[in-house]
Amino acid sequence: MTINQSQRPAVAGVATGNDPGGWARVWDLPTRLFHWVLVVSVAVALITGFVAPEWWMGVHSVAGYIIVALVVFRVVWALFGGAYSRIASFAYGPGRVLEHLRGAMLLRPRHYLGHNPAGAVMILILFATLTGLTVTGLMCLGGEEKQGVLAGWVSYATGNGAKVVHEALAFGLLGMIAAHVIGVAVESLLSRTNLVGAMISGRKRLNAAACDAPSDPRPARPFVAALSLVTVAVALAPVLTLAARTPPTGVYDLAMDPVYAAECGDCHYAYHPSLLPARSWDGMMAALDDHFGEDASLGTKKTAAIRAWLVSNASENWDTEAANRFRVPAPDAPWEITATAYWKRKHGDIAATDFKRKAVGGKGNCIACHGDADSGRFDDQAISIPDNK
Amino acid sequence: MIRFTALPVLAVLSVLVVPAVAGANPGRDAILAELSAQAKDQASGFAGFDAGRGDVLFRHRHTGGKPATPACTSCHGPSPIQAGETRAGKVIDPLAVSRTPERYSDPEKVAKWFRRNCNSVLGRECTAREKGDFITFMTSQ
Repeated sequence: MTINQSQRPAVAGVATGNDPGGWARVWDLPTRLFHWVLVVSVAVALITGFVAPEWWMGVHSVAGYIIVALVVFRVVWALFGGAYSRIASFAYGPGRVLEHLRGAMLLRPRHYLGHNPAGAVMILILFATLTGLTVTGLMCLGGEEKQGVLAGWVSYATGNGAKVVHEALAFGLLGMIAAHVIGVAVESLLSRTNLVGAMISGRKRLNAAACDAPSDPRPARPFVAALSLVTVAVALAPVLTLAARTPPTGVYDLAMDPVYAAECGDCHYAYHPSLLPARSWDGMMAALDDHFGEDASLGTKKTAAIRAWLVSNASENWDTEAANRFRVPAPDAPWEITATAYWKRKHGDIAATDFKRKAVGGKGNCIACHGDADSGRFDDQAISIPDNK
Repeated sequence: MIRFTALPVLAVLSVLVVPAVAGANPGRDAILAELSAQAKDQASGFAGFDAGRGDVLFRHRHTGGKPATPACTSCHGPSPIQAGETRAGKVIDPLAVSRTPERYSDPEKVAKWFRRNCNSVLGRECTAREKGDFITFMTSQ
């Protein structure tokens, strides 16, 4: 090894105490727990976000909330944690980062006990990405799904826009995870140190090549950290409570009109009025004598009453995901919710035989699988496909 | 002696049996009486409703109506004592009065469903005789 170590002591690790036998305690327990809980939470979030069907939405959200808590914790621990956990130990200038990257490319990087400069840059970008992911995730959850603390503050259109950013950031996160894993593998080989093991045991074998004694060797201050976290929680609690209690925008409780429920519900599921635009309801109610291939005519009084109720509660009056998606009906079948491209795409994975099951009763029977269809919300978590044949 | 004991037995029997036979529904009787009067007006040779003709009407595959519903059985199923299913997947209570006793007793409902379903299946209004035959058949089931 021909690394210039003149600026730093040759052997570090003194800060947090060394175990006998040439081992340095580097990662304190909270940092290690943080790391692995984050690994699991991010894995769950990525799998439920990219692969799992919609009804895993609840798990995805919980993973997101855990990530928020982890990020908040780690920011506090970056101020009051152990020497190698504190931001001061890995706030490298651009010169050090470039030097490290140059060394890494020549496969002879300077070795560090704590975070190396490339890793430190990765961590900062990772935290920005996780913050962006949770913020856009909450915006999407609030705007599109009308759930979570932002449900009363974010419109569907904004939530939909946030989803695009959320997805882009998620791909970015995948790339960062790949870079992190490759970086750890390369550095493990080059420094002949088991870095994964170090993140489990917290200890690294003292290596003459490692060159970073923390400039500030003070031990962790867990009580100050705990107090800070409690302060943050106490300060945020009323804000979050208020936000969570704000009614979602564009959703209201609508009691089913009894005439509509009785007359239309006789033959088919009584669809929530938010599932079609006013002009579709209007056209449909004007042509009940040929209603999906059957005569469904009613007296003029009942027809007018049902038409008025449907039109005044049509999709234009709602900001739910379903209302937004079905506001533009299929051009050749403006009364048929299941004819829209969106409906077909969303139900593309469901076999025709599943729709034919007795417990389902056909494509038009929303309530068979969407437990909350009567409210017009169609939450992802409320989906449950009956499994009897 | 026999006469005196037979009377109360008959009375008890009639109370038990008559509703089961399903003739004793004033609403349905009134509807049938009205249909009978109309049938007499529509055809001079009308001589009462016939369950057999109602059975044929129920099962026949008609051609004048909407393509999705060529017969009553398209939705109501082949047996009047069993439940049917609308094309949209809703269960329809059996047509037979023995299974759904409140059937054919509300004139508004009877008018609505004959108007709609005769148009869907036959492509025209049903005659009073057809309606009466149908109800008579379903009452016998």
